[in-house]
Amino acid sequence: MKNFIGFIVVSLPLALSAQTYSVASIPDSLKKNADVVKRNEEITIEIKSPAKALINTRIAYTVLNEDGNEHGDYIAYYDKFVSVNSVSGTLYDQNGKEIKHVKKKDMQDFSGTGDENLITDARYKINRFYYRVYPYTVQYEEEDEINGIRNFEDWIPQNAHRMAVQQSKYVIIAPKNYMIRYKEFNFSQPPVITENGDKRTYTWQISNLPAKLTESLAPSFVTLTPHVLIAPSDFEAEGYAGNMSTWKNFGAFFYQLTKSRDALPDNVKKEVHELTDNLKTQKEKIAALYNYLQKNTRYVSIQFGIGGWQPFDATYVSTKKYGDCKALSNFMVALLKEAGIDGKYVIIRAGKNAQQIVSDFSESQFNHVICCVPLLKDTVWLECTDHELPAGYLSSFTADRWGLLVDQSGGTLVHTPKYGVNDNLQIRRISATLNGDGNLSAFINTNYKAEQQDELEMDLEYRSKDELLKKLKSEIDLPTYDVTKFDYKEQKNNIPPSIDESIELTANNYAQVSGKRLFINPNILNRSETKLKTEEERKYPIELRSEYKDVDTVEIKVPSGYQPEAFPADTKIESKFGKYFCSVKITADKILYYRYREQYSGEFPAADYTDLVNYYDKIYKSDRSKIVLVKKE
Amino acid sequence: MFKSTTLLSLLIFLGTCLCAQEKPDAKFGKISIADFNLSTSKVDTSTAAIVISDIGECHFESVGLQFKVHFTHYKRIRILNKAGFNAANITIPYNDKGTGGQHVYDIKANTYNLENGKIITTKLDGKSIFTENYTKDILLKKFTFPDVKEGSIIEFSFAIESGVLLQLYPWQFQEEYPCMWSEYSVSIPKAYNYLTLKQGYNPFYIDDETYENEFGFVVQKHHWVMKDVDPLKRENFTTTIDNYVAKVEFQLSYVTNLSTNITQDVLPGWPKLSESLMGFESFGADLNKNNRWLDEDLQKIVQRSDSKLEKAKKIYSFVRDNFKCTLQQGNGLTTSLKTIFENRSGNVAEINLLLAAMLNHEEIQSDPVILSTRNHGFANMVYPVISKFNYVVCAASIDSKVYFLDASEKFLSFNHLPEYCYNGELRIIQKGNTTPVYLVADSLAEKKMTSVFIVNDDKSPHDISGSFQCQYGFYQSNTIRKKVSEKKQDDFIKDVKNSFENEIDIQNIGIDSLTQLDDPVTLHYDFAFKNATNSDIIYFSPIIGERYKENPLKSSERRYPVEMPYTSDEVYILDMEIPSGYIVDEMPKSEKITLNDKDGFFEYMIGKSDSNIQLRWRMKLNKATFEPAEYPNLRDFFARAIKLENEQIVFKKKK
Repeated sequence: MKNFIGFIVVSLPLALSAQTYSVASIPDSLKKNADVVKRNEEITIEIKSPAKALINTRIAYTVLNEDGNEHGDYIAYYDKFVSVNSVSGTLYDQNGKEIKHVKKKDMQDFSGTGDENLITDARYKINRFYYRVYPYTVQYEEEDEINGIRNFEDWIPQNAHRMAVQQSKYVIIAPKNYMIRYKEFNFSQPPVITENGDKRTYTWQISNLPAKLTESLAPSFVTLTPHVLIAPSDFEAEGYAGNMSTWKNFGAFFYQLTKSRDALPDNVKKEVHELTDNLKTQKEKIAALYNYLQKNTRYVSIQFGIGGWQPFDATYVSTKKYGDCKALSNFMVALLKEAGIDGKYVIIRAGKNAQQIVSDFSESQFNHVICCVPLLKDTVWLECTDHELPAGYLSSFTADRWGLLVDQSGGTLVHTPKYGVNDNLQIRRISATLNGDGNLSAFINTNYKAEQQDELEMDLEYRSKDELLKKLKSEIDLPTYDVTKFDYKEQKNNIPPSIDESIELTANNYAQVSGKRLFINPNILNRSETKLKTEEERKYPIELRSEYKDVDTVEIKVPSGYQPEAFPADTKIESKFGKYFCSVKITADKILYYRYREQYSGEFPAADYTDLVNYYDKIYKSDRSKIVLVKKE
Repeated sequence: MFKSTTLLSLLIFLGTCLCAQEKPDAKFGKISIADFNLSTSKVDTSTAAIVISDIGECHFESVGLQFKVHFTHYKRIRILNKAGFNAANITIPYNDKGTGGQHVYDIKANTYNLENGKIITTKLDGKSIFTENYTKDILLKKFTFPDVKEGSIIEFSFAIESGVLLQLYPWQFQEEYPCMWSEYSVSIPKAYNYLTLKQGYNPFYIDDETYENEFGFVVQKHHWVMKDVDPLKRENFTTTIDNYVAKVEFQLSYVTNLSTNITQDVLPGWPKLSESLMGFESFGADLNKNNRWLDEDLQKIVQRSDSKLEKAKKIYSFVRDNFKCTLQQGNGLTTSLKTIFENRSGNVAEINLLLAAMLNHEEIQSDPVILSTRNHGFANMVYPVISKFNYVVCAASIDSKVYFLDASEKFLSFNHLPEYCYNGELRIIQKGNTTPVYLVADSLAEKKMTSVFIVNDDKSPHDISGSFQCQYGFYQSNTIRKKVSEKKQDDFIKDVKNSFENEIDIQNIGIDSLTQLDDPVTLHYDFAFKNATNSDIIYFSPIIGERYKENPLKSSERRYPVEMPYTSDEVYILDMEIPSGYIVDEMPKSEKITLNDKDGFFEYMIGKSDSNIQLRWRMKLNKATFEPAEYPNLRDFFARAIKLENEQIVFKKKK
């Protein structure tokens, strides 16, 4: 420290960082309800060309307690398009004093392939400090080089509950003639735009967001907090150039990726004609070819580079007999084409209860591909990764949402069918006999329709009979029981399809025997499990996602010599959330139980929450009401 | 319904073809139509795939002056239905680093389909074999079979060359699919003596050991076959299925120089192992050093201590409360003790070795103890191999008493080990000397005591109200401490409220001893069943709080032991004032049932006076481990206890 000036220059940033990251400088309002405080975030993206960009990320968190620990970890993802030039992390104690520093070479490196893929080029580097003296602060810096642009990171300053944000900033720098596209949510300030030479800079900033708590049945967290979607206009990856300013343009890009990948080998062409030439209607032909696809292919996921967006060609699928959703859908379109039918490739965001895409902002919001055939009156939808569904039915995996239909005229948003309360049925009849020891034997017939059959349909496809029985047993909530017989029949002739299930089971001690009395719950299998936690002050709206109707009819033959002592009165609930009705009748030797439930979906105001808690509580209680039989003296 | 045709055809063959039970005639590339008419009598056909043949071979080849091990693996599988498609995805892990680098070669794979009476063969193309850098050390060869359908036969073979002689390739005879024929042949030159570890409850069909002369060397030849092996089934109360799966493993024990006949031990035995462990910088070398870097901190930690025991307790608490355990397993140091101290974190071995060093620094004699945890399986104690141990704790000797300490578990108290350490033998490691210690689950006793008082309250005549108190055992207390710390106390309390089926009002809820780790946790609250006495008859379930709702032993039979984490003694006491204006119409009968004379009992004692009902329910299990033969009795015991737990008392309004 001979040079005084040098001393100042060197020590200034140190002093600043100590000041910045001391816990004392966090306002109390940000500590309330928080496990972690995002102290500072700065994401800077510099677009060099439609294909190339540099991303600088600097992020610092103060972890206040054990529940915030996950935010102290850091993961840097990379693949064919993204290289991590540098990444480093620093750990500070509560006074802002540096404890540890790690560099790129210190971080562990792993494959990102995961169990759902056979192989991909995804990898990641990860750092964990495992520090446990709270509070502590971590800061990470990362520089990435992008060579192949497909999207930009969105700006979501508050991306977790119980996280407060002190300061977050997002900067994007682009050539003047490059159009940056964005859309703000829960945030009204437009970006600050400055110009410097041939560059234009857009800056968003926010500070002091207090932590938010979770609430049950609330909309997805991100939709409740300020955020900005940001997307490219012109982009290019692996030599494929496109523009995503409109859905039409974005669709045209995907068409370019699928174009001329539909050639089929001669033997497959021949099979297509053998299967379809003698069929009369389009629908019959579609069904025959879909069935051919289901019988001859299986799902295998291999993703390298642009292969994440571009399907393997139809010849590849013809010979290997496998592919991912893109490859199988492209193959399906090729089969249809050979039969003279115009099938379409549709890109979609799949997932039961997945959040709807933002339909007025064209960027890649998708993770799946399906296929459809628009006919004169209706459209036939095809999920090409499933082996059992009938042509024309989409499960809750892709139903009721927007998808991007891709063809020679570009892209068009299309909406998939919705299955409602009158489609999603579970109709059950139980005929049971109870003996004096409380043991029950029952025949159970159930018809599951539309979305109520989806999970079972997957199980029938992917579980062995052994595993099926195991799962069946784990789902039946009875004390000690045995399934003696079970069988399934899939009804695929009508859309939506249904499955008939028949089960025979015996349940020992089903009814509790206490001396001369029998305690019997007539609702053997369909008891509502939902019990919502009461909340002092509900903030967010309520989102009920599934819509269905259950009808249960139960007949229990009871041993002779007993008479009813007590039984529940009829219950009737009618509310905006659904309808519920149940009744018990007792004859000389039988209990007759009937239960009807309609559940609606929709968004409801926060003020309705207490009503909703009561609604579920009433059903919960009613489903557990018991009948008491007493021996005749 | 689905696949029923496949199943049906299998069943037909079951009747007609009981004969061919010898080795299946399966060789790579050799397939006939008859192979599709799979005959099987003993394997379970309700499965997704059947392994027709699984054959491994392992031998030595000399390369210059060194031996290399060659392992070849051939497997043929019949895929019965779509659930079996997973069997077509193959992953081969290997490690190509270092002197013993492994090399995978000759990967071949064929798919056979029977179409219109003809066999269609589809070969795997070389471009579809991928190599994945899984971690820094482990690589994966990955491929999937082409042209796979329901009914396909798939087969693959590959070879690995390896310079690692310490362990030979192990062989597992049992897996997730049933296997008709599993065979392993191993040839070992006489110069190498391996320890062979065999386990499992399935019998060998062939279990041969011969010696042959090959190229002037005496070669030991093992040959094992298992036939009709059932698939692995996981059940409740199992430490780890790895202890019971049928397999063989090898560990190099000593090497003989054939010209001099001098043998050199590779497996050192305990004295030598402890000598070297205590000499390794990655284990014990620094435990007894001065470690002056600890001076200042330790002085602060132990200040004002009167005795060694008090010092030890302070050091233990300091490490437990201030260090983050990054991994609940480990058998050595990955960095220096000093770095671990500074980072305030380390794996379980690092934390407890540091603890030992800190205790030694204060002249409290402390040694590392190595063990294999229950979920890691049993370690061979006669021929110890360090890789078979996955956990290190610390033994401190104070005034000729030994205290076992584990500072890696947040809620553990002094001189307690986690229940998963109770896995048989542990070894205290000193330089050149070891001491065995036996810790078994049967020696752990968890006591739980619940008492409930119900009194009539004139202010709310329509409710049944009272107070509940439950004192938990040591390990259950720790579980609650963990839950409360993970979920926050408010959420834990909400969960307690929600666990009741009936409408209940809970007030004054409290959890005691959350931070006094030496004391058991007590949960207590006041409750009121609202409007319970509004009708002429009251049905009252006298067991309040947690109870078994279903039998934890689900399968009707069991092939390996039931291993509970500890023995248990649960007592439930109820003293209840009969609701005013009511009489007891009916109540359960007292009953006592014993389990195998002295393995356990439960008793249900109930009595009433004019004003009160008293109930005492006790379930005691004197053992934690039960053999398969004892299983039916144990299952029945649970079933009867659960039935009694669910009985009710009936009150009637006085007329």
